Amino acid sequence: MKRRVVLVSMLLVLALSLGASAQGVVTMMGVWGGQELEAFEEVMAAFTAKTGITVQFEGTRDLPTLLQTRIAAGNPPDVAALPGPGAMKEYVEQGALIDLNNVLDGKTLTEDINDAWIELGTYKDGLYALTFAADIKSLVWYRPDVFAEKGYEVPTTWDEMEALMDQMAANGDTPWAIGLESGAASGWPATDWIEDIMLRTAGPEVYDQWVNHEIPWTDERVKEAFEIFGKIARNSDYVYGGPVTVLSTNFGDSVAELFTDPPRAMMHRQASFVTSFIQDAKPDVVIGEDVAFFGFPMIKPEHGNPMLGAGDMIGQFNDTPEAAEFMNFLASAEAQEIWANRLGKLGTNNKIDPAAYPDDLTRDMARLLNEADVFRFDGSDSMAAAVGSGAFWEGVLMYVGGDYLDDVLEFIESVAVDSY
Amino acid sequence: MNWQKLKRRLPRLAVNIVVIAAILIWFVPTLGLLVTSFRPASDVAYSGWWTSLSSPLKFTQYTVENYKNVLSSGGMLIAFRNSFIVSIGGTVIPVFLAALAAFGLSKLNFKGRGFFYALIVMMLVVPTQMTFVPVLRLYNKLSLSGTFGGLWLVHTGYGLPFSIFMLHTFFQSLPEELFEAAHIDGASIWTTFIRLAIPLSVPALASLVIFQFLAVWNDLLVALIYLGGHQSVAPLTMRLSSLVGSHGQDWHLLTAAAFISMIVPLIVFLSLQKYFVRGLMGGAVKG
Repeated sequence: MKRRVVLVSMLLVLALSLGASAQGVVTMMGVWGGQELEAFEEVMAAFTAKTGITVQFEGTRDLPTLLQTRIAAGNPPDVAALPGPGAMKEYVEQGALIDLNNVLDGKTLTEDINDAWIELGTYKDGLYALTFAADIKSLVWYRPDVFAEKGYEVPTTWDEMEALMDQMAANGDTPWAIGLESGAASGWPATDWIEDIMLRTAGPEVYDQWVNHEIPWTDERVKEAFEIFGKIARNSDYVYGGPVTVLSTNFGDSVAELFTDPPRAMMHRQASFVTSFIQDAKPDVVIGEDVAFFGFPMIKPEHGNPMLGAGDMIGQFNDTPEAAEFMNFLASAEAQEIWANRLGKLGTNNKIDPAAYPDDLTRDMARLLNEADVFRFDGSDSMAAAVGSGAFWEGVLMYVGGDYLDDVLEFIESVAVDSY
Repeated sequence: MNWQKLKRRLPRLAVNIVVIAAILIWFVPTLGLLVTSFRPASDVAYSGWWTSLSSPLKFTQYTVENYKNVLSSGGMLIAFRNSFIVSIGGTVIPVFLAALAAFGLSKLNFKGRGFFYALIVMMLVVPTQMTFVPVLRLYNKLSLSGTFGGLWLVHTGYGLPFSIFMLHTFFQSLPEELFEAAHIDGASIWTTFIRLAIPLSVPALASLVIFQFLAVWNDLLVALIYLGGHQSVAPLTMRLSSLVGSHGQDWHLLTAAAFISMIVPLIVFLSLQKYFVRGLMGGAVKG
């Protein structure tokens, strides 16, 4: 018996000593895994090489839950990727985040980072999030060779888009590939669709009101956006496999339908990061030659052709000099070039060397992003979490699954009323 | 076969059919996982695993690439080590304590033992999630968060109510006369526990160890909360979950990862099953 007690206590001592923390360390929590984690490890290695400070990174896809628990328990990581602007505001209300105006170099903030990003991270007169990198979302992916062979032309307006879809359907081709499955986050690709449509049918001002819940979900303009999406996603002539396939296909797998022989679908609407999925599914596809993108066409000319996007926002929770130094490093072109180069993401520091982008396509996107005059952030990321990463996702799945639109919108509205 | 014989065998036959059907239904997803884990990523994206069964002997369609990828990703060895540290501590401590407690509650006479037992069983209904924030706060004060010792303690806490409940039920079924006889022969309480209760309850202990080991080995959430996900302490579950990107990229690797992490629980199960069966068959309780 004695021997066992000794053994247990020895293990206990061992365990305690393993957990002891070292000096010159920044702890960071993020959602990244796989390739993303490898890329971020390079960013961290560059930081360590420069400053001698090590970064302890914990990656988890349950970030919102875990981060909230750790904040509530009083030991948040020094630095963390934030789930979105909505979560950022909640953390600010809890007094958990540090104002980055006192952390980041003033010159970097005014000269190197565009106002759109500052605006995104600003809440109640403080800057609480640094947007480290961005994806743009209003992109329709297609295969130029297939379009040329079949005589299809890239549409610039929604009327042309509808004509093109009918032409494809008449030819026996399926216009769209859509996949909404994404584990616990299933439905988000459809929210992007609806946000893109909403920006183009109702305009940026109404879009902001919608995101801030100043107009109800049952508003005619919200309904219109859902209906335009429904016309595609609920129609087997317009989307590969019809609603059942839309609901059950993983969002990352659905782009593969463009590369089957013969192609099962002609177009796929997805953010810039989709290129990594294409490469995973079809390593021999040359991005930029075999597959290209065009901007999601304008619907109502008076609202122009806006750009929808999202970003990797990073906030600081503990006021340590090491963490401050790491935040400044993340804001620099040097750090963002690594991230952009490995993952095809778009940096937010305008001093980034264009040569850092992996290909012409990404360079094009970076140019588009820097030039876009109307730019809006992913609305569902900015809404209160119960709606933006809850009821809205659920709602679009119900709608694609065949529920009545009025019921769906009333459901989302009822959740929204409780959360604002 | 005559009618009488058939009639007698019919219920048994029905039971067999139901059991076989249940086994098949449970087995299909696992088989799918196994087949998928040997298929290349591009095939996984295009077609279901069952399509490869149409020509199961075409070996070129299989690959060990997924396993290679998982095993060669950094930190697997450390993750295995961490998982062992966590699971062994998180199993031995609660099972040992539960055996003592359950023995005391069922075989010793003291005031309020019914009350204490009820209190422990009541703790079964407290959801784990409710305890995270308060316990983590306490851990931060005691600087236990991020240590294996701290994690053993929470696994002990979460595992004890069920373990005590299960062992108590088992000890109750042991005949009182045995313990009285031991007492008359002059055995102390401690001797009765070590020499009598423990050997007799090997089957119950074995199944409890399997339960608790599986729960701790497969746990992701509790480890994430109390241990944090840093490489030096992250157990296997955490390491494997970070193979997948933030949007679920590379999920096909998880199929191979699942089988790799399954090996250890399987070994534990198979090696303990022997005791489990022998305990039941041996008829230790003849007194």
